[in-house]
Amino acid sequence: MGLKDAAGRLKPKLGLGDADLARRVEALEADVLELRRHNVRLAEIADVVQELLVPLASRDQARIDEAIEKFSRSL
Amino acid sequence: MVATRAGVRRVDDDGLALWGFGDRAVDVLFDGRRVWSFWLERDTRTTVPGVRSIDWPSALRKFLDGQTRLTVTEHVSGRVLYDQERAFGTAGTRIEIVGRSGAPISLDKSNRISPTFDTRSRADVLPLLTAISTVLDAIASAGIDAFLAYGTLLGAIREQKFLGHDSDADLAYVSAHSHPADVVRESFRLQRAVQERGFHTYRYSGAAFRIDVEEGDGVVRGLDVFAGFIDETSLGSVLYVMGEIAADFQRDWVYPLRTCTLEGQSFPAPAVPERWLEASYGPSWAVPDPAFQFTTSDRTVRQLSGWFRGTSTNRAAWERAYSGARGKLPTAKPSPLARKAASYLSSGGTVIDLGAGRGADSLWLARQGLSVRAYDYVPSAAQAVQQTATDEELDLDVRMVNLNEWRTVLAEGARMSRVDGPRVMIARHTADATNRFGRQALARFASMSLRGGGRLLLDVWTGPGRTPDRLKPVPIDEVARDLTAQGARILVTRERPAREGSQRSSRGRLVAQWD
Repeated sequence: MGLKDAAGRLKPKLGLGDADLARRVEALEADVLELRRHNVRLAEIADVVQELLVPLASRDQARIDEAIEKFSRSL
Repeated sequence: MVATRAGVRRVDDDGLALWGFGDRAVDVLFDGRRVWSFWLERDTRTTVPGVRSIDWPSALRKFLDGQTRLTVTEHVSGRVLYDQERAFGTAGTRIEIVGRSGAPISLDKSNRISPTFDTRSRADVLPLLTAISTVLDAIASAGIDAFLAYGTLLGAIREQKFLGHDSDADLAYVSAHSHPADVVRESFRLQRAVQERGFHTYRYSGAAFRIDVEEGDGVVRGLDVFAGFIDETSLGSVLYVMGEIAADFQRDWVYPLRTCTLEGQSFPAPAVPERWLEASYGPSWAVPDPAFQFTTSDRTVRQLSGWFRGTSTNRAAWERAYSGARGKLPTAKPSPLARKAASYLSSGGTVIDLGAGRGADSLWLARQGLSVRAYDYVPSAAQAVQQTATDEELDLDVRMVNLNEWRTVLAEGARMSRVDGPRVMIARHTADATNRFGRQALARFASMSLRGGGRLLLDVWTGPGRTPDRLKPVPIDEVARDLTAQGARILVTRERPAREGSQRSSRGRLVAQWD
């Protein structure tokens, strides 16, 4: 069941007009999208940290350069 | 569904007109070779009652000059609707529908011209079969059991070969994770595992990447790897697979895998391939359809886009824009921005050319004796410049940065933060070539690269008025705000309106510094 179907059923109970409800649903969909978008960014950050943190912690410059190079090649 | 007989009423330089009721897939053959398929009702328009018209697809139109034996058949029944010698345009030669390499090409289901499998010999596809095995092995070494999917699985199960009208090969796997962020991390890891085997890879989204495989005669074929996962809740168990599938599904319809046969070789398939194919193509998956179109629900598109997409916005358009110029040295004069950068660095230093495009500025700057790091979404656009710089022993390095992907921005930003000496970044129509997310990433990249006195020189269309293709005007204040949020001190913002009577947009120039 989509959000719009659910909204259709709720409408009489909430006493909302069509336009009002349409706006609310649109805003709700945008909010859901905003939350879903965190997934890819969270994964990106975790990936960068995991792949580069260990070489960075070594403080060995050659190793750090190599790790960045290798990481960039895989993107 | 009521279906009548169908026929072809007219063929001309514009397209075809057919009659008949009842939708069905129709093939168009040139000198006996299928080149294009469409659906009688879905893809046509009614011009006069009872007559359905369809234009030649634009990708095919440019070949229509000369003679051919034109045949139109029903795809499933094979019934011939039209079969005549025809002339198009003015040329007296046979029409040859071939690609740049001379290999025969046809239209795939998205009406893109490509060397579909029906034009390929067994020797041609052997490297692809080998690549599939190697990639499956690389993915297995990372702990995931992948299998044939989408058109490749359909071909294997239905015909034991590649589908004639298909143009790429597809693999998929179902992750053990159920959280989209974990699914994305896993896909990143798999791309590395494949890339380490020496393949060139290309990421589409957080849950899909492509491997470029060179076939026997040099044609490059895409091998796609799609992530899937099962979301198990009290309401049921739903399978999601990038980029089209959301279906009620059981994990034991996938694992343990079974085998299937493709072009005489054995490959892994889902445990119940029929279930998988139904989830992919609907209950009529067994009926051949060379013009198949996914009818993915809006909700599924919203889900998959929200979780996984947004990392390669507009990239295909930029690739297309540069594809014609590949290998050719740009002849444009240096931009005012490049000249300004050179004057700032009169005693030497590094220029970071962000959004270098074909690299005209980069090459000019390198020839002034500066170190140049040329970054672009589509680094292949500057291939000729890189080659020339190497030949001339200039310090110029073309690299990829994708402003829609934090990973490239952070990794390359870390690299640029290590550059010694004075640094200037030029960003000529880069802020207006990307979206808001990209502009914030631009600011982040500049901040990482320029800390300690580096300067950014930026040109942007600010509107109102016309801008070149693919560029969207951005208010200069908005650009300045994003830069300030990343620690920049704005030294100059200037807007110059277009000349009187010109339809062009105003231009903005901005200079920022990181202390």
